Amino acid sequence: MSQRDLVAELRAAHVEAPPEVRERVRLIAAGAPTPRRRVTWRRALVVVVPIAAAIAATIVYTRPSHDTSVVERAIAHQPGTVRASIPAAPSGDSAAKAFALPSPTNRVQKYEATLSLRVEHARDVSDGVKRALRITTSFGGYSSAVHAETHGGRATADLTLRIPRARIQAAMAKLAQLGTITDENVSTVDQTALLNTTDREIARLQKQLAALRAQPTSPDNDRRITALVTRIERLQRGEATTRRNAHYATVSLHLETPPATVVQQHTHGPLHGVGVALKWLGIGAVYALAIGAPVAVLLLLLWLGVRIVRRRRENALLEI
Amino acid sequence: MTFQQAAEAHLDDVYGYLAWFTSDRFAAEDLTAVTFERALRLWHRFDPDRGSVRTWLCQVARTVALDHFRSERRRVRREELAAPPEAIDFRFAEGLSPDLESALARLTPGEREVVALRVLLDLDAGTAARVLGISSTNCTTRLNRALKKLEEALHVAA
Repeated sequence: MSQRDLVAELRAAHVEAPPEVRERVRLIAAGAPTPRRRVTWRRALVVVVPIAAAIAATIVYTRPSHDTSVVERAIAHQPGTVRASIPAAPSGDSAAKAFALPSPTNRVQKYEATLSLRVEHARDVSDGVKRALRITTSFGGYSSAVHAETHGGRATADLTLRIPRARIQAAMAKLAQLGTITDENVSTVDQTALLNTTDREIARLQKQLAALRAQPTSPDNDRRITALVTRIERLQRGEATTRRNAHYATVSLHLETPPATVVQQHTHGPLHGVGVALKWLGIGAVYALAIGAPVAVLLLLLWLGVRIVRRRRENALLEI
Repeated sequence: MTFQQAAEAHLDDVYGYLAWFTSDRFAAEDLTAVTFERALRLWHRFDPDRGSVRTWLCQVARTVALDHFRSERRRVRREELAAPPEAIDFRFAEGLSPDLESALARLTPGEREVVALRVLLDLDAGTAARVLGISSTNCTTRLNRALKKLEEALHVAA
Protein backbone atom coordinates (compact mmCIF):
# COMPACT_ATOMS: atom_id res chain seq x y z
CA MET A 1 0.00 0.00 0.00
CA SER A 2 1.42 3.37 -1.03
CA GLN A 3 1.49 6.37 1.31
CA ARG A 4 -1.26 8.04 -0.77
CA ASP A 5 -3.55 4.99 -0.39
CA LEU A 6 -2.73 4.90 3.28
CA VAL A 7 -3.77 8.52 3.78
CA ALA A 8 -6.92 7.96 1.71
CA GLU A 9 -7.92 5.01 3.92
CA LEU A 10 -7.21 6.98 7.09
CA ARG A 11 -9.25 9.94 5.79
CA ALA A 12 -12.16 7.64 4.91
CA ALA A 13 -12.28 6.49 8.52
CA HIS A 14 -15.11 7.96 10.53
CA VAL A 15 -14.91 8.54 14.25
CA GLU A 16 -18.08 9.40 16.08
CA ALA A 17 -18.47 10.12 19.76
CA PRO A 18 -20.60 7.58 21.64
CA PRO A 19 -24.14 8.72 22.60
CA GLU A 20 -23.28 8.78 26.33
CA VAL A 21 -20.34 11.15 25.70
CA ARG A 22 -22.57 13.31 23.52
CA GLU A 23 -25.13 13.47 26.33
CA ARG A 24 -22.47 14.38 28.92
CA VAL A 25 -21.12 17.16 26.75
CA ARG A 26 -24.63 18.40 26.06
CA LEU A 27 -25.25 18.64 29.82
CA ILE A 28 -21.95 20.51 30.28
CA ALA A 29 -22.76 22.92 27.47
CA ALA A 30 -26.24 23.54 28.92
CA GLY A 31 -24.56 25.16 31.91
CA ALA A 32 -22.90 27.76 29.73
CA PRO A 33 -23.84 31.30 30.71
CA THR A 34 -25.47 33.66 28.27
CA PRO A 35 -22.76 35.11 26.03
CA ARG A 36 -21.77 38.58 27.15
CA ARG A 37 -20.47 41.31 24.95
CA ARG A 38 -16.73 40.82 24.90
CA VAL A 39 -14.63 43.84 25.84
CA THR A 40 -11.63 43.66 23.55
CA TRP A 41 -8.85 46.23 23.52
CA ARG A 42 -10.15 47.58 20.22
CA ARG A 43 -13.61 48.15 21.66
CA ALA A 44 -12.06 49.66 24.77
CA LEU A 45 -10.03 52.02 22.56
CA VAL A 46 -13.17 53.11 20.73
CA VAL A 47 -14.58 54.24 24.08
CA VAL A 48 -11.40 55.42 25.80
CA VAL A 49 -9.94 57.52 22.97
CA PRO A 50 -12.93 59.89 22.55
CA ILE A 51 -13.22 60.25 26.34
CA ALA A 52 -9.52 61.06 26.64
CA ALA A 53 -9.80 63.54 23.76
CA ALA A 54 -12.79 65.19 25.39
CA ILE A 55 -10.97 65.49 28.72
CA ALA A 56 -7.86 66.89 27.01
CA ALA A 57 -9.96 69.40 25.06
CA THR A 58 -11.75 70.45 28.25
CA ILE A 59 -8.43 70.98 30.03
CA VAL A 60 -6.95 72.95 27.13
CA TYR A 61 -9.96 75.20 26.62
CA THR A 62 -10.80 75.80 30.27
CA ARG A 63 -7.18 76.46 31.23
CA PRO A 64 -6.67 80.10 32.25
CA SER A 65 -4.65 82.17 29.78
CA HIS A 66 -1.07 83.25 30.46
CA ASP A 67 -2.14 86.89 30.67
CA THR A 68 -4.51 86.29 33.55
CA SER A 69 -2.02 84.16 35.45
CA VAL A 70 0.67 86.80 34.99
CA VAL A 71 -1.65 89.44 36.38
CA GLU A 72 -2.50 87.22 39.32
CA ARG A 73 1.17 86.56 40.01
CA ALA A 74 1.95 90.26 39.77
CA ILE A 75 -0.83 91.06 42.23
CA ALA A 76 0.21 88.28 44.56
CA HIS A 77 3.79 89.59 44.66
CA GLN A 78 2.81 93.14 45.61
CA PRO A 79 2.93 93.40 49.37
CA GLY A 80 0.06 95.23 50.99
CA THR A 81 -2.12 95.40 47.92
CA VAL A 82 -5.78 94.59 48.02
CA ARG A 83 -6.79 92.02 45.41
CA ALA A 84 -9.51 93.18 43.12
CA SER A 85 -12.57 91.00 43.16
CA ILE A 86 -13.58 92.06 39.67
CA PRO A 87 -12.33 90.34 36.48
CA ALA A 88 -8.97 91.29 34.97
CA ALA A 89 -10.62 93.18 32.11
CA PRO A 90 -14.02 94.38 33.24
CA SER A 91 -16.44 96.22 31.07
CA GLY A 92 -17.33 99.80 31.88
CA ASP A 93 -20.58 98.86 33.61
CA SER A 94 -19.06 96.17 35.79
CA ALA A 95 -16.23 98.52 36.76
CA ALA A 96 -18.77 101.15 37.72
CA LYS A 97 -20.56 98.60 39.88
CA ALA A 98 -17.26 97.61 41.45
CA PHE A 99 -16.60 101.23 42.49
CA ALA A 100 -20.17 101.92 43.53
CA LEU A 101 -20.42 102.93 47.18
CA PRO A 102 -23.47 104.40 48.92
CA SER A 103 -23.33 108.16 48.58
CA PRO A 104 -26.21 109.90 50.39
CA THR A 105 -26.55 113.40 49.02
CA ASN A 106 -27.14 115.02 52.42
CA ARG A 107 -23.85 113.80 53.90
CA VAL A 108 -20.32 115.05 53.40
CA GLN A 109 -17.85 112.32 52.58
CA LYS A 110 -14.18 112.18 51.70
CA TYR A 111 -13.74 109.77 48.75
CA GLU A 112 -10.34 108.31 47.78
CA ALA A 113 -9.70 105.66 45.14
CA THR A 114 -6.59 103.89 43.86
CA LEU A 115 -6.67 102.27 40.46
CA SER A 116 -3.76 100.30 38.95
CA LEU A 117 -3.99 99.35 35.30
CA ARG A 118 -1.75 97.27 33.09
CA VAL A 119 -1.31 98.15 29.42
CA GLU A 120 0.56 96.18 26.78
CA HIS A 121 3.03 98.71 25.38
CA ALA A 122 4.92 101.81 26.51
CA ARG A 123 3.05 103.99 24.01
CA ASP A 124 -0.22 102.84 25.61
CA VAL A 125 0.95 104.44 28.88
CA SER A 126 1.43 107.78 27.14
CA ASP A 127 -1.95 107.49 25.41
CA GLY A 128 -3.52 106.43 28.70
CA VAL A 129 -2.24 109.54 30.48
CA LYS A 130 -3.71 111.78 27.77
CA ARG A 131 -7.05 109.99 27.81
CA ALA A 132 -7.20 110.03 31.63
CA LEU A 133 -6.68 113.80 31.65
CA ARG A 134 -9.38 114.23 28.98
CA ILE A 135 -11.80 112.06 30.99
CA THR A 136 -11.08 114.05 34.15
CA THR A 137 -11.68 117.36 32.39
CA SER A 138 -14.85 116.10 30.74
CA PHE A 139 -16.29 115.30 34.18
CA GLY A 140 -15.41 118.76 35.50
CA GLY A 141 -12.32 117.66 37.40
CA TYR A 142 -8.64 118.46 37.24
CA SER A 143 -5.29 116.76 37.74
CA SER A 144 -3.27 117.70 40.78
CA ALA A 145 -0.18 115.62 39.89
CA VAL A 146 1.10 113.71 36.86
CA HIS A 147 4.30 111.67 36.75
CA ALA A 148 5.29 109.42 33.84
CA GLU A 149 8.55 107.66 33.01
CA THR A 150 9.95 105.13 30.56
CA HIS A 151 12.89 102.87 31.39
CA GLY A 152 14.24 100.06 29.20
CA GLY A 153 11.01 99.33 27.40
CA ARG A 154 8.97 99.52 30.58
CA ALA A 155 6.77 102.55 31.18
CA THR A 156 4.84 103.72 34.24
CA ALA A 157 2.66 106.72 34.99
CA ASP A 158 1.13 107.99 38.23
CA LEU A 159 -1.67 110.54 38.17
CA THR A 160 -3.55 112.17 41.01
CA LEU A 161 -6.92 113.27 39.72
CA ARG A 162 -9.61 115.36 41.41
CA ILE A 163 -13.06 114.57 40.07
CA PRO A 164 -16.42 115.89 41.34
CA ARG A 165 -17.80 113.45 43.90
CA ALA A 166 -21.20 113.35 42.24
CA ARG A 167 -19.75 111.99 38.97
CA ILE A 168 -16.96 109.79 40.33
CA GLN A 169 -18.59 106.47 39.51
CA ALA A 170 -19.05 107.26 35.84
CA ALA A 171 -15.51 108.66 35.69
CA MET A 172 -14.04 105.55 37.33
CA ALA A 173 -15.84 103.34 34.82
CA LYS A 174 -14.25 105.34 31.98
CA LEU A 175 -10.80 105.24 33.59
CA ALA A 176 -11.02 101.48 34.15
CA GLN A 177 -11.34 101.02 30.39
CA LEU A 178 -7.83 102.37 29.82
CA GLY A 179 -6.22 98.99 30.63
CA THR A 180 -6.49 95.75 32.58
CA ILE A 181 -7.18 96.29 36.26
CA THR A 182 -4.47 94.79 38.43
CA ASP A 183 -5.33 96.53 41.70
CA GLU A 184 -8.09 98.75 43.02
CA ASN A 185 -8.92 100.30 46.33
CA VAL A 186 -11.78 102.60 47.27
CA SER A 187 -12.31 104.27 50.64
CA THR A 188 -14.81 106.82 51.90
CA VAL A 189 -14.64 108.71 55.19
CA ASP A 190 -17.82 110.35 56.45
CA GLN A 191 -17.11 113.91 57.65
CA THR A 192 -20.64 115.01 58.48
CA ALA A 193 -20.18 114.43 62.21
CA LEU A 194 -16.98 116.50 62.20
CA LEU A 195 -18.74 119.37 60.45
CA ASN A 196 -21.67 119.20 62.86
CA THR A 197 -19.26 119.46 65.79
CA THR A 198 -17.59 122.45 64.13
CA ASP A 199 -20.98 124.08 63.52
CA ARG A 200 -21.92 123.65 67.17
CA GLU A 201 -18.55 125.09 68.23
CA ILE A 202 -19.02 128.11 65.94
CA ALA A 203 -22.55 128.67 67.28
CA ARG A 204 -21.28 128.51 70.86
CA LEU A 205 -18.48 130.98 70.08
CA GLN A 206 -20.86 133.34 68.27
CA LYS A 207 -23.09 133.28 71.36
CA GLN A 208 -20.10 134.20 73.53
CA LEU A 209 -19.18 136.94 71.02
CA ALA A 210 -22.70 138.42 71.17
CA ALA A 211 -22.58 138.43 74.99
CA LEU A 212 -19.20 140.18 74.97
CA ARG A 213 -20.39 142.78 72.49
CA ALA A 214 -23.34 143.57 74.76
CA GLN A 215 -20.99 144.47 77.61
CA PRO A 216 -19.39 147.96 77.99
CA THR A 217 -16.28 148.55 75.94
CA SER A 218 -12.98 147.97 77.69
CA PRO A 219 -9.48 147.03 76.46
CA ASP A 220 -9.81 143.54 77.93
CA ASN A 221 -13.25 143.06 76.37
CA ASP A 222 -11.96 144.21 72.95
CA ARG A 223 -9.03 141.75 73.14
CA ARG A 224 -11.39 138.85 73.97
CA ILE A 225 -13.77 139.85 71.12
CA THR A 226 -10.84 139.92 68.67
CA ALA A 227 -9.65 136.46 69.81
CA LEU A 228 -13.15 135.02 69.45
CA VAL A 229 -13.63 136.51 65.98
CA THR A 230 -10.27 135.08 64.85
CA ARG A 231 -11.17 131.65 66.17
CA ILE A 232 -14.63 131.69 64.56
CA GLU A 233 -13.12 132.73 61.24
CA ARG A 234 -10.52 129.93 61.41
CA LEU A 235 -13.23 127.35 62.14
CA GLN A 236 -15.37 128.65 59.31
CA ARG A 237 -12.41 128.49 56.88
CA GLY A 238 -11.65 124.94 57.97
CA GLU A 239 -15.28 123.96 57.52
CA ALA A 240 -15.32 125.51 54.05
CA THR A 241 -12.11 123.65 53.12
CA THR A 242 -13.57 120.34 54.30
CA ARG A 243 -16.76 120.89 52.30
CA ARG A 244 -14.73 121.90 49.22
CA ASN A 245 -12.47 118.86 49.54
CA ALA A 246 -15.47 116.58 49.94
CA HIS A 247 -16.89 117.97 46.74
CA TYR A 248 -13.99 116.38 44.85
CA ALA A 249 -12.93 112.74 45.01
CA THR A 250 -9.20 111.93 44.83
CA VAL A 251 -8.25 109.23 42.35
CA SER A 252 -4.69 107.85 42.25
CA LEU A 253 -4.28 106.27 38.84
CA HIS A 254 -1.29 104.03 38.13
CA LEU A 255 -0.54 102.84 34.61
CA GLU A 256 2.24 100.36 33.80
CA THR A 257 3.47 97.88 31.22
CA PRO A 258 4.11 94.25 32.28
CA PRO A 259 7.47 93.53 33.94
CA ALA A 260 10.18 92.34 31.56
CA THR A 261 10.65 89.05 33.42
CA VAL A 262 6.98 88.26 33.12
CA VAL A 263 7.04 89.06 29.41
CA GLN A 264 9.65 86.35 28.94
CA GLN A 265 7.17 83.82 30.28
CA HIS A 266 4.87 84.68 27.39
CA THR A 267 7.34 82.91 25.07
CA HIS A 268 6.08 79.58 26.43
CA GLY A 269 3.50 78.37 23.97
CA PRO A 270 0.59 76.09 24.80
CA LEU A 271 2.75 73.06 23.95
CA HIS A 272 5.46 73.98 26.46
CA GLY A 273 3.93 71.61 29.04
CA VAL A 274 3.89 68.79 26.50
CA GLY A 275 7.59 69.39 25.80
CA VAL A 276 8.44 69.24 29.49
CA ALA A 277 6.37 66.08 29.92
CA LEU A 278 8.07 64.44 26.92
CA LYS A 279 11.48 65.40 28.27
CA TRP A 280 10.77 63.69 31.59
CA LEU A 281 9.24 60.72 29.83
CA GLY A 282 12.46 60.42 27.80
CA ILE A 283 14.57 60.54 30.95
CA GLY A 284 12.34 57.90 32.52
CA ALA A 285 12.56 55.75 29.40
CA VAL A 286 16.39 55.87 29.46
CA TYR A 287 16.43 54.81 33.11
CA ALA A 288 13.86 52.08 32.46
CA LEU A 289 15.91 50.83 29.51
CA ALA A 290 19.16 50.82 31.49
CA ILE A 291 17.61 48.89 34.37
CA GLY A 292 14.91 46.96 32.51
CA ALA A 293 16.95 45.67 29.55
CA PRO A 294 19.18 43.30 31.57
CA VAL A 295 16.17 42.11 33.55
CA ALA A 296 14.23 41.56 30.32
CA VAL A 297 17.13 39.57 28.81
CA LEU A 298 17.35 37.47 31.97
CA LEU A 299 13.62 36.80 31.93
CA LEU A 300 13.78 35.90 28.24
CA LEU A 301 16.58 33.40 28.86
CA LEU A 302 14.64 31.95 31.79
CA TRP A 303 11.52 31.62 29.65
CA LEU A 304 13.48 29.93 26.86
CA GLY A 305 15.06 27.53 29.34
CA VAL A 306 11.70 26.60 30.84
CA ARG A 307 10.26 26.13 27.35
CA ILE A 308 13.10 23.83 26.26
CA VAL A 309 12.80 21.71 29.40
CA ARG A 310 9.03 21.48 29.02
CA ARG A 311 9.34 20.53 25.35
CA ARG A 312 11.86 17.77 26.15
CA ARG A 313 9.65 16.36 28.88
CA GLU A 314 6.69 16.48 26.57
CA ASN A 315 8.60 14.69 23.80
CA ALA A 316 9.69 12.04 26.29
CA LEU A 317 6.11 11.64 27.44
CA LEU A 318 4.82 11.21 23.88
CA GLU A 319 7.81 9.06 22.89
CA ILE A 320 8.79 11.33 20.04
CA MET B 1 -21.12 31.28 18.02
CA THR B 2 -22.28 30.13 21.45
CA PHE B 3 -20.54 27.45 23.48
CA GLN B 4 -23.43 25.04 22.92
CA GLN B 5 -23.12 25.42 19.16
CA ALA B 6 -19.33 24.99 19.31
CA ALA B 7 -19.66 21.85 21.44
CA GLU B 8 -22.28 20.37 19.15
CA ALA B 9 -20.28 21.11 15.99
CA HIS B 10 -16.88 19.87 17.15
CA LEU B 11 -17.62 17.06 19.60
CA ASP B 12 -16.73 14.31 17.11
CA ASP B 13 -13.49 16.06 16.15
CA VAL B 14 -12.38 16.40 19.77
CA TYR B 15 -13.36 12.84 20.60
CA GLY B 16 -11.61 11.48 17.49
CA TYR B 17 -8.44 13.43 18.22
CA LEU B 18 -8.36 12.20 21.83
CA ALA B 19 -9.21 8.62 20.86
CA TRP B 20 -6.36 8.42 18.36
CA PHE B 21 -3.99 10.30 20.65
CA THR B 22 -4.58 8.05 23.66
CA SER B 23 -5.59 4.88 21.80
CA ASP B 24 -7.93 4.24 24.72
CA ARG B 25 -11.69 4.56 24.15
CA PHE B 26 -12.64 4.86 27.81
CA ALA B 27 -9.95 7.42 28.51
CA ALA B 28 -10.99 9.36 25.38
CA GLU B 29 -14.59 9.49 26.57
CA ASP B 30 -13.60 10.84 29.97
CA LEU B 31 -11.05 13.24 28.51
CA THR B 32 -13.64 14.56 26.03
CA ALA B 33 -15.96 15.45 28.91
CA VAL B 34 -13.07 17.01 30.85
CA THR B 35 -12.05 18.95 27.75
CA PHE B 36 -15.48 20.52 27.36
CA GLU B 37 -15.72 21.28 31.06
CA ARG B 38 -12.39 23.10 30.89
CA ALA B 39 -13.36 24.79 27.63
CA LEU B 40 -16.54 26.07 29.26
CA ARG B 41 -14.50 27.63 32.06
CA LEU B 42 -12.09 29.20 29.56
CA TRP B 43 -14.69 30.18 26.98
CA HIS B 44 -14.45 33.89 27.89
CA ARG B 45 -10.78 33.79 26.83
CA PHE B 46 -11.46 32.41 23.37
CA ASP B 47 -10.68 35.02 20.71
CA PRO B 48 -12.10 34.25 17.23
CA ASP B 49 -9.50 36.60 15.70
CA ARG B 50 -6.68 34.29 16.80
CA GLY B 51 -8.02 31.03 15.42
CA SER B 52 -11.05 28.83 14.84
CA VAL B 53 -13.07 27.21 17.59
CA ARG B 54 -11.92 23.77 16.45
CA THR B 55 -8.26 24.72 16.78
CA TRP B 56 -8.88 26.22 20.22
CA LEU B 57 -10.79 23.13 21.38
CA CYS B 58 -7.96 20.91 20.11
CA GLN B 59 -5.46 22.98 22.11
CA VAL B 60 -7.57 22.54 25.24
CA ALA B 61 -7.94 18.82 24.50
CA ARG B 62 -4.17 18.48 24.07
CA THR B 63 -3.53 20.05 27.50
CA VAL B 64 -6.05 17.68 29.04
CA ALA B 65 -4.49 14.70 27.23
CA LEU B 66 -0.97 15.63 28.36
CA ASP B 67 -2.18 15.79 31.96
CA HIS B 68 -3.70 12.35 31.44
CA PHE B 69 -0.45 10.97 30.03
CA ARG B 70 1.53 12.32 32.98
CA SER B 71 -0.81 10.84 35.57
CA GLU B 72 -0.98 7.60 33.59
CA ARG B 73 2.79 7.33 33.48
CA ARG B 74 2.98 7.75 37.26
CA ARG B 75 0.24 5.15 37.74
CA VAL B 76 1.91 2.64 35.39
CA ARG B 77 5.24 3.08 37.17
CA ARG B 78 3.56 2.26 40.45
CA GLU B 79 1.46 -0.63 39.20
CA GLU B 80 3.78 -2.40 36.77
CA LEU B 81 5.89 -3.48 39.73
CA ALA B 82 2.90 -5.47 40.93
CA ALA B 83 1.38 -6.57 37.62
CA PRO B 84 2.11 -5.89 33.93
CA PRO B 85 -0.45 -3.61 32.21
CA GLU B 86 -3.18 -5.29 30.20
CA ALA B 87 -3.33 -4.77 26.45
CA ILE B 88 -6.47 -2.90 25.53
CA ASP B 89 -8.40 -3.99 22.50
CA PHE B 90 -9.22 -0.72 20.78
CA ARG B 91 -10.67 0.17 17.39
CA PHE B 92 -9.50 3.56 16.13
CA ALA B 93 -12.31 4.04 13.64
CA GLU B 94 -14.95 2.34 11.61
CA GLY B 95 -13.77 1.26 8.17
CA LEU B 96 -10.07 0.72 8.91
CA SER B 97 -8.43 -2.56 7.99
CA PRO B 98 -7.16 -4.70 10.90
CA ASP B 99 -3.60 -4.29 9.61
CA LEU B 100 -3.91 -0.53 9.66
CA GLU B 101 -5.49 -0.63 13.12
CA SER B 102 -2.57 -2.73 14.29
CA ALA B 103 -0.05 -0.42 12.64
CA LEU B 104 -1.67 2.61 14.25
CA ALA B 105 -1.51 0.95 17.65
CA ARG B 106 2.23 0.50 17.21
CA LEU B 107 2.82 4.23 16.67
CA THR B 108 3.87 6.40 19.60
CA PRO B 109 1.28 8.83 21.06
CA GLY B 110 3.18 11.74 19.49
CA GLU B 111 3.02 10.15 16.04
CA ARG B 112 -0.66 9.21 16.38
CA GLU B 113 -1.39 12.78 17.47
CA VAL B 114 0.05 14.35 14.34
CA VAL B 115 -1.74 11.78 12.14
CA ALA B 116 -5.02 12.55 13.92
CA LEU B 117 -4.62 16.30 13.45
CA ARG B 118 -3.35 16.29 9.86
CA VAL B 119 -5.25 13.32 8.43
CA LEU B 120 -8.31 12.61 10.59
CA LEU B 121 -9.21 16.26 11.33
CA ASP B 122 -7.67 17.43 8.04
CA LEU B 123 -5.98 20.46 9.60
CA ASP B 124 -3.41 22.29 7.50
CA ALA B 125 0.26 22.23 8.54
CA GLY B 126 0.18 25.69 10.11
CA THR B 127 -2.91 25.06 12.21
CA ALA B 128 -1.72 21.64 13.35
CA ALA B 129 1.67 23.13 14.21
CA ARG B 130 -0.06 25.78 16.33
CA VAL B 131 -1.94 23.10 18.25
CA LEU B 132 1.28 21.16 18.81
CA GLY B 133 3.31 24.26 19.66
CA ILE B 134 5.96 23.51 17.03
CA SER B 135 6.94 24.87 13.61
CA SER B 136 5.11 23.88 10.41
CA THR B 137 8.26 22.19 9.07
CA ASN B 138 8.62 20.17 12.23
CA CYS B 139 4.97 19.19 12.02
CA THR B 140 5.33 18.01 8.42
CA THR B 141 8.48 16.04 9.28
CA ARG B 142 6.66 14.35 12.14
CA LEU B 143 3.75 13.43 9.87
CA ASN B 144 6.02 12.01 7.17
CA ARG B 145 7.88 9.96 9.74
CA ALA B 146 4.62 8.59 11.16
CA LEU B 147 3.22 7.74 7.72
CA LYS B 148 6.46 6.02 6.74
CA LYS B 149 6.31 4.00 9.91
CA LEU B 150 2.73 3.00 9.12
CA GLU B 151 3.69 2.10 5.59
CA GLU B 152 6.53 -0.10 6.80
CA ALA B 153 4.30 -1.81 9.34
CA LEU B 154 1.68 -2.53 6.65
CA HIS B 155 4.40 -3.79 4.30
CA VAL B 156 5.64 -6.20 6.96
CA ALA B 157 2.10 -7.34 7.68
CA ALA B 158 1.50 -7.97 3.98
